[in-house]
Amino acid sequence: MTIFLKKFGTTLNGRQFGKESFAAFEPSLREIKDDEEVIVDFEGVVTFTPSWADEFLGPLFNRFGEQLTLKNTENPSVQATLKLLEKIYGKNFM
Amino acid sequence: MNSKLLTIGQTAKLLGVSIQTLRRWDDSGRLSSVRRKAAEHRYYFKKDIEDYIKNNIKELDLFKIARNWVVDSLGVEPLSDFHCPDISVFQARLTKLENELSKIKKLNKIFPLISAITGEIGNNSFDHNLGNWPDVLGSFFGWDLAKKKIVLADRGQGVLATLKKVKPELTNHKDALWVAFTEVVSGRAPEYRGNGLKFVKDVVIANKINLFFWTGDACLKIQKNVSNLDIKKSDINFRGCLAVIKF
Repeated sequence: MTIFLKKFGTTLNGRQFGKESFAAFEPSLREIKDDEEVIVDFEGVVTFTPSWADEFLGPLFNRFGEQLTLKNTENPSVQATLKLLEKIYGKNFM
Repeated sequence: MNSKLLTIGQTAKLLGVSIQTLRRWDDSGRLSSVRRKAAEHRYYFKKDIEDYIKNNIKELDLFKIARNWVVDSLGVEPLSDFHCPDISVFQARLTKLENELSKIKKLNKIFPLISAITGEIGNNSFDHNLGNWPDVLGSFFGWDLAKKKIVLADRGQGVLATLKKVKPELTNHKDALWVAFTEVVSGRAPEYRGNGLKFVKDVVIANKINLFFWTGDACLKIQKNVSNLDIKKSDINFRGCLAVIKF
């Protein structure tokens, strides 16, 4: 499955918005099989912040671990946010 | 509300200028007051002041407007152009800022970072004060792209009061600022979160951006390539937070 983040918006900021986004998408995650790759595609995202990421990517990291692949992460705010999340979660995402 | 009359003192605070300046502007016709006779006190229509700010933003000092608002003992709503009563308004205005920044060629590579740190600082106002605003609800959010400046402020509880809930040993604003920008801790215990300001610090240090952040009687400055945080006692003392981002 590929999760296109731009479908949530291009300014992905704030815990409340991150939580709402995850809650809205959560039912779709139930379709994912145990060995299926989960791709998070950042294409089109303009502003990405740790507060949104913590609420949305955090649960994905915890749930899918090695199944998760991040794609199109060139945007500098995506890079900076992922760098911080790597420190917090102790994992390499990029 | 726009038809409300403001005193000359209130107007001076809203515009970040002195009463003497307003009297001069009134006499010269630059910004006219409302008074029936020359001997009466000068008042201003709130709508006139909002229009004046819209038309003269380049000549006004956004920082002074925000500082006056945040340090004023009486909490009044900031002018609607700057006021974000809730996070959805803040979010909408952040998207507008992002769009305006994206049109500046020089910022081509870093505008998403400027927008992201603005978002994180702005979020904090709401995340830490929701349901607990001491007086005025929401935040001040303005920018002047000609002067390459973004200003955010709130009359919330401030960093020390927020952090004390999870770190009761904190006793002063300087230490609270240091913790907020360096330690992974959350003011919304028991949630293990609160990394926004660490992110802000990392981004500022790595890019051509300056950040000035005031809370209580403390002031922090962060700039490119300087990893030691410069935290000092400031000349103002107030309850909430005030931040200026320059780029």
